[in-house]
Amino acid sequence: MKPRYAPYFFLAPFFALFGVFMVYPLFDSIRLSTYSVRGMQNQTFVGLENIERLIADPLFWTALWNTAYFAAGSLLLQLPVALALALLLSNARLKGRNLFRLSFFSPVLISGVFIAVIFYLLYDRRYGLVNRVLGSEIQWLQDPDLVMPALVLAGVWRWAGFNMVYFLAGLQSIRQELYEAAAVDGAGPWQSFVHVTIPALKPVIAFVVITSMIGSFQLFDLPYVLTEGGPGNASMTMVMYLYKHGFEFINLGYAATIGWALAVIIGVISIIQVRLFGVFREN
Amino acid sequence: MIHLGKAPLIFGLLFLLAFPVIVFRGDDRSDTLEFWIFAQTHYDEFSARIPAFEAAHPGVKVELRLISKLHDKLLAAFLSGIGGPDLSEVEISSVGRFFKGTKEEIGFVDLTDRIEREGITDEFVQARLAPWSLGGRIYGLPRDVHPVMLLYRHDVYEKAGIDPASIETWDDFVRETRPLARDDDGDGQPDQYPIMLSAHKPGHFWLMLLQNGGGMFDENGGVIIDNDIAVSTLEFYCSLLNEEQLAIPEFSQDPASYAAMKEGIILGVLAPDWYISFARRFVPELEGKWRAMPLPAWREGERRTSTWGGTMIAVTRQAENPDLAWEFAKFAYMDDEALANRYRKTFIIPPIRSAWSNPVYTEPEAYLDGQVLGRSLTDLAPDIPGFYLNPYWAEANDLLRQAVYEAANGIRTPADALSHLAEQVRALRNNTTETE
Repeated sequence: MKPRYAPYFFLAPFFALFGVFMVYPLFDSIRLSTYSVRGMQNQTFVGLENIERLIADPLFWTALWNTAYFAAGSLLLQLPVALALALLLSNARLKGRNLFRLSFFSPVLISGVFIAVIFYLLYDRRYGLVNRVLGSEIQWLQDPDLVMPALVLAGVWRWAGFNMVYFLAGLQSIRQELYEAAAVDGAGPWQSFVHVTIPALKPVIAFVVITSMIGSFQLFDLPYVLTEGGPGNASMTMVMYLYKHGFEFINLGYAATIGWALAVIIGVISIIQVRLFGVFREN
Repeated sequence: MIHLGKAPLIFGLLFLLAFPVIVFRGDDRSDTLEFWIFAQTHYDEFSARIPAFEAAHPGVKVELRLISKLHDKLLAAFLSGIGGPDLSEVEISSVGRFFKGTKEEIGFVDLTDRIEREGITDEFVQARLAPWSLGGRIYGLPRDVHPVMLLYRHDVYEKAGIDPASIETWDDFVRETRPLARDDDGDGQPDQYPIMLSAHKPGHFWLMLLQNGGGMFDENGGVIIDNDIAVSTLEFYCSLLNEEQLAIPEFSQDPASYAAMKEGIILGVLAPDWYISFARRFVPELEGKWRAMPLPAWREGERRTSTWGGTMIAVTRQAENPDLAWEFAKFAYMDDEALANRYRKTFIIPPIRSAWSNPVYTEPEAYLDGQVLGRSLTDLAPDIPGFYLNPYWAEANDLLRQAVYEAANGIRTPADALSHLAEQVRALRNNTTETE
């Protein structure tokens, strides 16, 4: 066999699987989003009706709002926590820091369903640890105003340690001379952080912000197990809504439309973030 | 460049050969029955039965598969047309999604004629065939009846001088148990509640509605969830939670509810047969303190039970040998001794009347202070209410959750919540293709 063909043969299995399980479903879901699907085989072409229905569907907007709330909460709460943990645990004088790093990282090794069960117990009104510590009887998961903040906190617990690892890697790559030079110029710890650490971490921050945002918009397992989207629909997320239509109501056309709406939203937000951070800009 | 010889070619060919073998298993599997189940307890039960079936059918092999997210995977198999089992269990809250579209699209074999041919139609509690039927055709064998009783703390009742026999109707229940809802610490909230009703999930309301003769759809598919029966049931339900403060807003299967039972905060639970075994397992401390009585009736002399939950076994249209699959379904679901063993572990009453004569159902139950639970359950079983399935069942059930939440939490009045729900369900029906 001619060597120049060899790479194609090695790559063929990947592309065959990618084509069958990713590309084909992706394009078929575009077709599907223009159909009304009722039952196992019954498909009727409806053109853009699913999009019209989506725009007029109040539950879709509720799900979008909840998802955006979670994403914003993750950005504003989780990433500062992750960065603060990374700064603390990058301190060479801290004893047992590897143990701390492992401890903070470990929640991401646990399945989302299990985390949901843990938080279900933690948030219980009468017996939950959170209320015991606060000395209150707050209905974290039954109050429509509190359920999303409760989910955001669970998300922080789950993902902050994971993002901490990216920040730690970023911090370790900052050259010590930059801090020394800043100190010579009279910069204190805060000024060093603002003018050395943050600019040097910019690519890592960009990566973490973009991937966290994408992950947040795909939120499913935590609310699915913890609240089933309730109370009412106060914690319904877009992927949960998609799942309901796709797998509970067998309304695959509408589910495909929700899926594409989600993809467009994630795409637009990601592009804005990429531009804001100047990710692909040289220097 | 490194010379790779024929390795890439061989590698590529192997992949091309392996792919269809993995995807399309070409072997003759007509003597193999693949049976999907969703619960470990069911797995243990059937594992013990398989050797006897295989011995009676030489050459036949039964592959039992415990499948997580069974209903999603079964649905994917039906949608794609491949990869499904010969037989599958289906849980009652998920069955609606399999009855979308036309009759020809339903993924289960119509068992009506087979059941009639066997002459076993009358053997079953008739109301128990309804949830697995559509348009008069039966698509699964029921595994259970799940009559509901009221589990109550007889030690507390005794101390308070309440005679359970005096509680014949729900009005009696309110009157007799009101003194139990005491507020000893003066915080304005009772410290113990005569009953537990969810303010967020529809399960408790649904079983009370069925007991009262209501439902989501009538036999012709008409939406009846906003009729007088439904409205008065939801009004009563909400009054127990709010005005009367007799019901604690918890759900029976939450860990917190078991803890509240242990502490003596919950004094009564709407309990189907399976739930009583849950209580025995999760609240063993209360052994001898519980007893079970028939549900209070809505009106004197009327139905004293309801039903909650359920499972069917169905033969799929992907079965290579549906006759053999049917044989196994009967074998798995209709053996007296196996059903008696199941009762010992789970208190689940079989839907087959002839099985009730087994002595196991007359054994006193220590957890319930020596009460003969089996007989109480079998006495109530023939009277359980039925309900009619519908292609919009899944959507309607989801909307019911919202309606119960809104009514129980004062967001809408019960009448308004149900009227809004009915409007949405009717709109679903008008906007979609129906099963003919």
